Amino acid sequence: MALIELKDINKTYNNGQPLHVLKGINLSIERGEFVSIMGASGSGKSTLLNILGILDNYDTGTYHLDGKLIKDLTEKQAADYRNRMIGFVFQSFNLISFKTALENVELPLYYQGVPRRKRQEMAMEYLEKMGLTPWATHFPNEMSGGQKQRVAIARALITKPQIILADEPTGALDSKTSVEVMQLLKQLNQQDGITIIVVTHEGGVANETDKIIHIKDGIIGEIEENTRHTAWGGTIIK
Amino acid sequence: MRELFHEIASSIRQNKLRTALTGFAVSWGIFLLIALLGAGNGLMNSFSGNMEQYVSQTVTVSGWRTSKPYAGYKENRNIQLDQRDLNYTEGPEWEGVIGNVSVATSSQSVKLTLEGRNVNGWMRGVMPDFQETEKLQMSAGRFLNVDDIKGRRKVIVVSRSQAKELSPRNPEALIGQWISAGSVAFRVVGIYHTDEQDFRQTCPIPYSTYKGIYDHTDKIEDISFTVNGPSTLKEHQDFEDSYTGALKRMHDIAPDDRRGIWVRNGYTDNLEMSNASRILSLAMWILGLLTLVSGIVGVSNIMLITVKERTHEFGIRKAIGAKPHNILSLIIAESVTITAIFGYVGMFLGMIACEVLDKTVGQRGVNIGFEEIRMLVNPSVGLDVALEATLLLIVAGTLAGIIPAWKAAKVKPIEALRAE
Repeated sequence: MALIELKDINKTYNNGQPLHVLKGINLSIERGEFVSIMGASGSGKSTLLNILGILDNYDTGTYHLDGKLIKDLTEKQAADYRNRMIGFVFQSFNLISFKTALENVELPLYYQGVPRRKRQEMAMEYLEKMGLTPWATHFPNEMSGGQKQRVAIARALITKPQIILADEPTGALDSKTSVEVMQLLKQLNQQDGITIIVVTHEGGVANETDKIIHIKDGIIGEIEENTRHTAWGGTIIK
Repeated sequence: MRELFHEIASSIRQNKLRTALTGFAVSWGIFLLIALLGAGNGLMNSFSGNMEQYVSQTVTVSGWRTSKPYAGYKENRNIQLDQRDLNYTEGPEWEGVIGNVSVATSSQSVKLTLEGRNVNGWMRGVMPDFQETEKLQMSAGRFLNVDDIKGRRKVIVVSRSQAKELSPRNPEALIGQWISAGSVAFRVVGIYHTDEQDFRQTCPIPYSTYKGIYDHTDKIEDISFTVNGPSTLKEHQDFEDSYTGALKRMHDIAPDDRRGIWVRNGYTDNLEMSNASRILSLAMWILGLLTLVSGIVGVSNIMLITVKERTHEFGIRKAIGAKPHNILSLIIAESVTITAIFGYVGMFLGMIACEVLDKTVGQRGVNIGFEEIRMLVNPSVGLDVALEATLLLIVAGTLAGIIPAWKAAKVKPIEALRAE
């Protein structure tokens, strides 16, 4: 079975007017893939990402993550799965402002109950990997966007998750930094074999990935193999 | 634990002013609670301290003027106890209930003289157990004994303050000396202890001696006795009514006359006093708690705002693996910490206030006519109250935090992440 296996996923929001957002999504993503999900706003790509990240639930269908059925979980179970299997990278970084880079990176391990000394050691290791050792004791507002996103990536990696879910990871960055961040993700995929799913609406970003999944009006459209990175005529970011 | 405090500290740092203002309400509540309880304790200590000298575990009865006409007698008749009353008291009817029975004469004013020095006193003929019932502590010599009564000896016991007046250099040297009381000379056999606050001037002499010298009738001024059996206030009152009812019948006093027989019941006095003390302390607790409630509401309020402001942060925490109970305990711990820190400040200030009360009002005596009493004696709260207050603070902090914490814990991660 693939790492991620979605079968006929449906999701309807009931805020006054019922809104059928996902209309039967079937998707499987293998271990070690570097995939992007593309779609216009309102296409349901964010909802899909939230379901993949166990941040939101779905109405019908099945979602298997690493062979486990993700359905009707308690908050506690969901938190535990998120903590151990999924690393999140957000558009707005979502670092905790009153914690240093080091403290932000070690936080997922805190919720695993890892002892303080061990946590700090591991967090330093991952910051070093991101080239952020001198910034360990700095607060997020003392860092640039690219640095913040690298702290967020370190935080996503520290629990050694099965997948990294990146929601518009370059959305708040300039083009130069965007390239750097995408290169970093690519490197993580190629060298460490981490499965990465990037949600984006930018062709240039999607072009960096090996497979592009197009979603439109709640249905999966074309799935484009992009191993040669020639989508959009080989568009470079921005 | 360390992480928790670190998180709490950083969150408090972010809202210094708000936290301080809210904390003030908690401090104020605990301050008032401790100060009120301390003052209440001081007042009760003063009551019982001042009363202790007089209230003994005995019942004392004596004759009194009647207030109602009865059986052909007019009102305002003077009632005099006599041998019949003593026989009745010691008789079979109250066997097992009335214990030691003692008699005493009324006091008469006397001037004690030794080598040109004088002091005033109230001479009173008593039985040996007078020492026990009046809680006299001997500072030198002995109290009157059975042989003094039998031999009608001319012996006297004086208070320490009187002894000091008569023999300023060495009061103890008074023992064995003869002093004159009016026209009669008595040998001093004992000095009972009095302190600065104590202005008793009773000079006990043997009952039989008093009768022989000053009063040749079989009249009895005071009968006092101990009581076994009744324990509650009601039982004591029932006993008292039944006993005095019999005395009233013997002296033809109207049964519903509130006068005629004068009773001082040490048992009911003590019970009433401890009741009063309980009620006072309860009232203080209620007042203090009501004040504290406003503090708790304040903390709860600030925690609600904090939770609202930090919703996005909780979303991040949940996304990276925080379980609901992690968030719940974070908020409650923060609430308990704020409440406890400010509560302890209030408690500390309250205890200082008690000290200040002790040093000011507590030292001042109030003249109530025949003597001076201190308004407050040792106004303070015990360790038990401090512990109760600590427990109260933890409970209060938890209560204050529980609704905000619940709100924070149950918000869905996806909604929390969307919040700004």
